[in-house]
Amino acid sequence: MTWIGRRAITRMLDLAALNRTRPAFAGALVLIVPVALVAVVAGNFLGSAEQRIAIIFLINLIAVVANGLYSGNSGIMSFGHLGFMGVGAYLSAILTMTPEKKAMTLPNLPEFLAQAHMGLNEACLVTIVVIGLFAFIVGTPISRLTGSAASIATLAFLVIVHSILNGATDFTRGSQTFFGVDRLVTLPSLLFWVALSILAARVFRDMPAGLEIRAAREDELAAQAMGVNIARRRLIAWVISAMMMGVAGAMIGHFLGAFSPKKFFFVDTFAILAMLIIGGIGSVTGAVVGTAVVTVVMELARRLEESPILPSLGLPQVFGLTQLALGLGILFVMYKRPGGMLGLAEVDDWFKHRFSVAAAKITSFAAEKRDGALVVANVAKNFSGLKALDNVSLELRPGEIVGLIGPNGSGKTTMLNAISGAVPPSSGSVTLDGVAVAGKPAFRIARLGLGRSFQNIRLFKEMTVLENIEVAVSASGRGGDIRAEAMAALEELSVAHLAERRAGALAYGEQRRVEIARALALKPRYLMLDEPAAGMNSAETRALMTLLREIRDKYGLGLLLVEHHLELVMSLCDRVVVLNKGQMIATGTPAEVQNDPIVIEAYIGRAHSAHSSPSAATERSLS
Amino acid sequence: MAEMEILIQQCVNALSLGGTYALLALGLAVVFSVLGMINFAHGEILTIAGYTVFFAIVGNVPPILIVPLALLVAMATAALMERIAFRPLRGANGTTLLITSFAVSGILQMLFQNLISTRPRPVPISASLTGAFNVGPFHIGVIQSLSIFATFAMVGLLTLFLKRTMLGIAIRAAAVDFPTTRLMGLRANRVILAAFAISGLLAGVSGLLWIAQRGSVDPLMGFLPVLKAFIAAILGGIGNLTGAVIGGFFLGAIEIGLQAVLPESVQPFRDAIALSLVVLVLLYRPQGLFGAAHSVRP
Repeated sequence: MTWIGRRAITRMLDLAALNRTRPAFAGALVLIVPVALVAVVAGNFLGSAEQRIAIIFLINLIAVVANGLYSGNSGIMSFGHLGFMGVGAYLSAILTMTPEKKAMTLPNLPEFLAQAHMGLNEACLVTIVVIGLFAFIVGTPISRLTGSAASIATLAFLVIVHSILNGATDFTRGSQTFFGVDRLVTLPSLLFWVALSILAARVFRDMPAGLEIRAAREDELAAQAMGVNIARRRLIAWVISAMMMGVAGAMIGHFLGAFSPKKFFFVDTFAILAMLIIGGIGSVTGAVVGTAVVTVVMELARRLEESPILPSLGLPQVFGLTQLALGLGILFVMYKRPGGMLGLAEVDDWFKHRFSVAAAKITSFAAEKRDGALVVANVAKNFSGLKALDNVSLELRPGEIVGLIGPNGSGKTTMLNAISGAVPPSSGSVTLDGVAVAGKPAFRIARLGLGRSFQNIRLFKEMTVLENIEVAVSASGRGGDIRAEAMAALEELSVAHLAERRAGALAYGEQRRVEIARALALKPRYLMLDEPAAGMNSAETRALMTLLREIRDKYGLGLLLVEHHLELVMSLCDRVVVLNKGQMIATGTPAEVQNDPIVIEAYIGRAHSAHSSPSAATERSLS
Repeated sequence: MAEMEILIQQCVNALSLGGTYALLALGLAVVFSVLGMINFAHGEILTIAGYTVFFAIVGNVPPILIVPLALLVAMATAALMERIAFRPLRGANGTTLLITSFAVSGILQMLFQNLISTRPRPVPISASLTGAFNVGPFHIGVIQSLSIFATFAMVGLLTLFLKRTMLGIAIRAAAVDFPTTRLMGLRANRVILAAFAISGLLAGVSGLLWIAQRGSVDPLMGFLPVLKAFIAAILGGIGNLTGAVIGGFFLGAIEIGLQAVLPESVQPFRDAIALSLVVLVLLYRPQGLFGAAHSVRP
């Protein structure tokens, strides 16, 4: 259990956290009701052909929702989930078959499997546990990959499972049909698993782990800077969704009664992904709607394939029409609405305003008082030969504002990246309150008490402002009422009224403030701001200066400020460090630095600093 | 001596199989480096090259023209794919492009199955190709040698193209920084089209080598080799051309090596083991063997 972490478990049991997910529970219920209706109608009023379609729809629903839980939240398309479905189908079928039957069809089974005999629900539980472990092992390397590489790795996983199912003839009869599975699926039990899947997927999205993994989908770098352990979060989503796929496999196996490894390979992957993509990868509502729409379309295409309509029109009988329809459906959605029919919208978006965002009053973001400082010693960073940083040292104490200035390309942002772990330094040391952090992953450094903002704002654009902040509170790992703390951080920056807005839709100045609020929500000891005044007019800049001073005084933070706005730097900073071409050329009080000839030379050029020529004098007055 | 011969034989096999993967991976990498997309439908280009050969033989096209024809069709297919399916999505993110190519792949497979046949079609391979020749005491297969030769020739030609021609240099520039390349006055569409045509050519060559070994074409024949090429490309560091070639040879060597050393009972799991080994490598080098560490400037 250590991999989930005690912290995560206490958070799961936290009532405040449950309170946060109330709209999600309600949304899941709204989705479950029509699905249940389909099951009830199919069970009581429909013929066997229609009932069959309804059951396959329900099973697909589990698979699509499960795949969406991973692919949608992580942003990494998984082609491999059908592999878990296959393993689930075979494993559960072996568990429910009578020993006598197994002695005939699978004579070489190991003893404990040959003797096993249980009901479908028990088999589902065993399958969930076994697949959970299996997914954990497989997911560990996959969760470290990003983007397309991760997608391809999941495809490799599908091929690996397929070839194992084909090769393990003692367990699976190889590529031959695996038959004699009792058809144990009943509508009520199926409905139970479907409802559980929808609920799990919907609530996961708004739980701390779900928030954090979605933040990583929006922006990996910013998520890490807020303390999100991306690989761990992706692994959790991978394992949960694999378990759900296992259940879907058990259901399809015990519905069909006979299947072969081919059932869990490319064609069905294509269909399941089409449902997910067409409905909308990023939302559970989309998954449900997509499954429904595609099931109907597939059924129509199948009937068209078998009907005499096409030949009667002089067209040839086509087969594979479903695949064509799905392919064209995906293309259409990609061209017109790349996010799918629903995009990121959930059904509860319609009524979630009814659940009030009541924030408990939180008064302080002050991290515990400790002695110490942020000490950077002889840090260097080389980019294939280019010395972006060359033995730079600086120190930042709590309660102090230090400015980091220098001409363009002097290494200021690289410096912040080297400190925060976004780009590990080539050499040198960074210590945070005595802890050596150089080379540690960015999320660990963030959790140790280092917040930052970015030069080009990096909010999680598709998430709400409140969710942006909640990610930082959640990832900081200190527990407590996530929502209340996030609201308090927003109030601190006077942007609480924007809480429910989409972060990407805010005005520029608002985004800057939200970004600072997000960094503050980590409860950092040190805060690094990369050009916070960029693009602000002078009134806004002055307001920002007041604000930064307040934050420093109230929380005793150490502030490291990269800024071009010299007025701000000179009036706000206790000390200033000047970089040029990766080297530290001066340090001291603003007044000292301002009159340092080396600094002037770096900014304005040699000829103009030492011996002013008339033309240089005019240029200087212009600059 | 017999052991020596087997060893040489296996090395030749590994080089020839790895070379096929390398060419496919190289084509994927060229497109990825420029556009940031993995072309899922790359395998269908290989299949189309195969069908071109099949129909050319059926249609009594002079043998000397068959290879150029197949390569031309492969290039045209890749270019058309770009023009029709991917260009409308210019600027979309990697996932959108991946999904789109995934759909294109599914549609093409369905079309092959309906318009041609679901069953493999035989491609008669001339006897001069299937034989072997002797180098000193060693038997070397003609097709294997040909495929090794073709691999190195293609890699050499591509290197020349990328280093010496304007368009090649433009492709390399676009791979580093597309917006700046456009600001330098190069037409984005031309660069991208060229990247696709190159990937089509490479897929065509590997398609020819692939059917020369199998002697038949079928609608799904592109899937497995291209899957291996995906893996090779990731192993080499996705978007890195040198890495893609080395990744391809590496994967070929692993497969042939496993074929040689695994006991008979484990042979069915060869693909699974080979892919698992690669995934294990990725556990220690998530960026691939030659991938640059993240150097994104935030």
